[in-house]
Parts: sequence; C-alpha cells; structure tokens
Amino acid sequence: MKDRLAYLVRRLIQVPFVLIVVSIIIFALVHVTPGDPIQIMLGLETSPDAVAALRKQYSLDRPLPEQYIIWLTKAVQGDLGQSIRSHQPVTQMIAERFPVSLKLAAVSMFFALLLALPTGILSATRRNTWLDYLCTGISIGGLSIPNFTLAMLLIFVFAFKLHWFPITGIGSAIGPKTLWGALAPYSLPALALGVQQTAILTRLLRSSMLDVLSQDYIRTAHAKGVSNWSVMVSHALKNALIPLVTVTAIQFGYLVGITITIEFIFAIPGMGLALLDAVINRDLPVIQGFTLIMAIFFILANLLADIVYTLVDPRIKY
Amino acid sequence: MNRVEEISPEDFRRYHQSVFRSATKQFVRNRAAFAGLGFLVIVVICSILAPILAPYNPTAINLKEKLKPPTSTHLLGTDYFGRDVLSRVIYGGRVSLLVSLTVVGIAVMVGVPIGLTSGYFSGRIDNLLMRLMDSFLTFPPLLLAVVIVGVLGPDIQNVMLAIGIVNIPIFARLVRGSTLSVREEVYVRSARALGASTLRIVTSHILRNIMAPIVVQMTVTFAGAIIAEASLSFLGLGAQPPHPSWGRDLNEARRYLEDAPWLLMGPTAVIMISVLSINFIGDGLRDALDPKAWRTWKKLK
Repeated sequence: MKDRLAYLVRRLIQVPFVLIVVSIIIFALVHVTPGDPIQIMLGLETSPDAVAALRKQYSLDRPLPEQYIIWLTKAVQGDLGQSIRSHQPVTQMIAERFPVSLKLAAVSMFFALLLALPTGILSATRRNTWLDYLCTGISIGGLSIPNFTLAMLLIFVFAFKLHWFPITGIGSAIGPKTLWGALAPYSLPALALGVQQTAILTRLLRSSMLDVLSQDYIRTAHAKGVSNWSVMVSHALKNALIPLVTVTAIQFGYLVGITITIEFIFAIPGMGLALLDAVINRDLPVIQGFTLIMAIFFILANLLADIVYTLVDPRIKY
Repeated sequence: MNRVEEISPEDFRRYHQSVFRSATKQFVRNRAAFAGLGFLVIVVICSILAPILAPYNPTAINLKEKLKPPTSTHLLGTDYFGRDVLSRVIYGGRVSLLVSLTVVGIAVMVGVPIGLTSGYFSGRIDNLLMRLMDSFLTFPPLLLAVVIVGVLGPDIQNVMLAIGIVNIPIFARLVRGSTLSVREEVYVRSARALGASTLRIVTSHILRNIMAPIVVQMTVTFAGAIIAEASLSFLGLGAQPPHPSWGRDLNEARRYLEDAPWLLMGPTAVIMISVLSINFIGDGLRDALDPKAWRTWKKLK
C-alpha cells in the first residue's frame, strides 16, 4: 500500500507540470497564426490608431513570453478573455456549454457500457460460436464507421422513418416535462458518438474475460462445485471489470473532446459546436480557452483512471 | 562472442529470404487480410484511373437531373446540383487516399527519428522529447486536429499537416519503446564494438529490426487518417466545394437526408470498406511480421 501511495503522490506531482506544458502548447499554437488577430477582429477598414489601441488592450504589443505569463495569470483567475465575435466572456461560454457536452458524453458512455457489458460477456463465454462471431463482426464494423455517418443513418431510420426519437430538443427553450422527454433528445447523438467506445469496450471486456476464465482459480471454483452463474459473476466478472474501469475513465475524457461532429449534426449547443464556430471565424480567445478546458478535462480523466487502477488492482506493484 | 559468430552473412540472407517467404505465406493464408488487400487495391486503382472510370464529370452541374435516386444511368443517384454521386465517390478517393498517405508520411518522417533519438541516446534528450510528445498526447486527437486547422486556416493542405502532427507522438512513443528493447541486443553491441558510426547503427541495425511494429502502426494510422480527413471535411474544414471528397459530400448529404438518403450510401460504404480493408491488412501484417520469427527460425534450423 505504501509504494502505491508513493506512486500516486508522484503521479499527482506530475499533473501541474503537464498542465503548464499543455498551456504553453495551446498558447504557442494560437500565436503562430499567420495573419493579425486584431485585423481579423476589426475588419479591413481600420485606422492604425484603433489597431494599436486594441493591441494594447489585449497586450499583444508585449514580447511573447510576457504575453504568455499575462494570459496564464488571468486564466488561473478564471479570466480567459472574451470572444472576438460575440464579446461574451469565454469563461461564461464554457460555463453554459461545457455541461451540455459533458451530459452528451455521459449518456454516450452509459449506452456504450449498456451495450458492451452483455456483448462482451456473451462473446467470451460463448467463444467461437456464431454469437461470438456476430458480436466481433459488429464491433469491427463499429470501429470502421465514422460516428457522423452512423449519426445520419440513425437519424434517417429512427427519426425520419420510424419517428421514435426527436432529432432536436437539446437546449431548446421549453424544458422537458418527463424523464423520457429529457433523455430522448440525447439518445441518437449519444448512441452515434459512442460507437467506437462501444466497440473498444466490447473487445476489451471479451479479451479480459477470456484471460480471467483461463486462470487457475476459475478452474478451482468449478471443481469445488460452485454454480456456473456464480463463477461467472463473482469470480470472473469481478476481475475482468478492472481494466474496463480504467478504460472507461480514459474514454470518457476522450469523448468530451470529440463531440464536435455529433454536435454539428444535431445542432447541440455544446463545446464542440462553439469551437467549430470559433475555428471558422478565427476567434482565437475562444479557441484557446475551450482547448485548454477540454485538455484539462482529458488529463484529469486519465489521472482518475490511474488512481482507480492503482487502488483497485491488488496485483500492481510499484 | 559465440553467438555473434554463428550468424554468417549467408545465414542472414537466408533468414531474410525465409522470413519474407513465410511472412508472405502467412499473409496470404490470412483470408481477411488478403480480401482487405484486394479491396484496397480496387479503391486505389479507381482513384488513380478516376478520369477513365468515372462515368461523368464529378463537378458538372446538371440541374435537370438534381436529386435523382439511383438508376441505371446514375448508379448511385445524383446530388442537389445534379452531379453524379458515383463519379464523385471515385474522384473523392483521390483526396482521401492522398491526404492519408501524406499523413502517414509526415508522422513517420518526424515521429520515427524522434523515437530513435529518444530511445538510443536516452537520458536528458529522451526525457525532454518524451515529455513533449506526452503533452501532445494529452489532447483528444480530433480536437487537436481541429484546433491546428483552425489556427492555420481551413484548407486541405492544413488538414494533412494537422492530422500528421497529431500522429507524430504515437510513432515517436512506439519507436522509442522498440529501440529501447533492441538497443542492448548482441548485434547492436557488436556493431558498436566494431566501430560502426551511430548513424549506421541506428539506421541499419536498429531501424531494420523494429520495422514490423512501425509498418503495423502505419496501417492503423492510415485507416485513422481516412476517418479523420472525412470528419474534418465533413465539418467544412478540409476539402472545399466543388471538389469531390467523401467527407465533404457527406456534409451535403446531411442537408437532403430526408429527401435523398441515397446520397449517404456511396461515401459511407467506400469509407467503411477502405477502413475495414486497411485494418484487416494491418492485422494480417501483425501476425505475419511477428518479431519472434527470428528466434523461431534459429530454433528450426
């Protein structure tokens, strides 16, 4: 336990350093931009005085390292500047939009687990039967289809033809009245968003189940006369789930960063759609702020995965 | 010293020959990989011979024929401007394949030297390079690509660069790991003892022996790049209209989804077939180029 704690402490100490390097990368990325952000802000017909004034306001007249320090100091205090286009503070935009993307990713992960758990277990226990081949085939398909294409197929079948799900409704002014009303608009986007994660988790669970099922203690349990069901659930599944937990955490952080295409198709007012707008309009403060937040979230999800893995798996030694 | 003497140049030649032969055999035996190769070759040939194979000009507008479902004259139907979807799918392959090949090229050309340097010299250089690579890996890949394209401007060249940059750290990490694992092998140590230059050791001794994982990763990257390019073009950040591109055309299909669902079929099918094929090829190569082959061959001899 002691060495595990030592590892965790070391892991935690790394985090601030990673964050600093990431912030430098984001800052550098935005500042190698060809073209003057101020010119983009003001358009072409501007007086040199106005340009100089704005340049001063955004401290773009200082040397780059100083600009970075100014930006970082403000960012730590919760000031990520304001959008060049809408003049809304970036922090406020994030506060409005991040929960939407987070909810989408969460529902998506929920669906992924809901689908992956039974298919992964079935695949492993009915190994090399038609059922296993079917599950394997579907997950290979899931890994090969771009999520935005699947989204359109789902819209066509379930919204246009069958009318089971609405295609809009997220972020609409009228609040949902029922639980179904609240969840239904998320169903199709979440299902499409998580297609690769579903496939990854299914494959992972299958292989980790197979790994566990070949262990001695499973044979011992069978030999002792423990019922099949009990062996599966309390001996095999319990151990096979350990890698699943960490991968789920990592993939969740990942999902939050890839909602762009899905938010675009379903017009979901989350981080991704705003980021896309910002990218098209070269709204640099928004790009900077949003990327920073999404990267931090991804780093924290990875950290969480590491912590859980260290605490849960008794075999790990450091 | 004994083990070094055992490997004569003749042995080495025969080893390479037999490894190649057995790898080819195993690759052909792997039916999925072989089918994948077949499909990929078809896609590649269609892209190269697009001007000959495409029944129509992919950008020719014919408003009289707009949004027609598949018929014998237009096998995959026509889009909002009356352009032939099949021709656009065939021409779109050029963009996708070219972008993906370039992406693999960028990632390999930059990532492999970084990984080799890092793994061979270790120490401070290794630490510095790997921390930098790790920082790039802390961004979700699509996000990083979108931001890079956003900063450089929406354009197909920038898409190649962006997806390429995203894949550099993956190759660097992989190559570093493989380099570390062969760095202390006898053949590397003996080359060093014989006075071979660092460049020669790294390129002709280390690199040659870690080609297998690099080649497999190239297939994974290639498949990923096809999806990434389609995603970025779909978002309007890649190929610009009226140029045909699978992702871009799917974006247009989105607008007429209810009235003209067939617009979805062509690009979707061809993206999936390409990605599946490349992944199967990668799996086949992984089996065929098993790094343990060398030891097995020694034993069999």
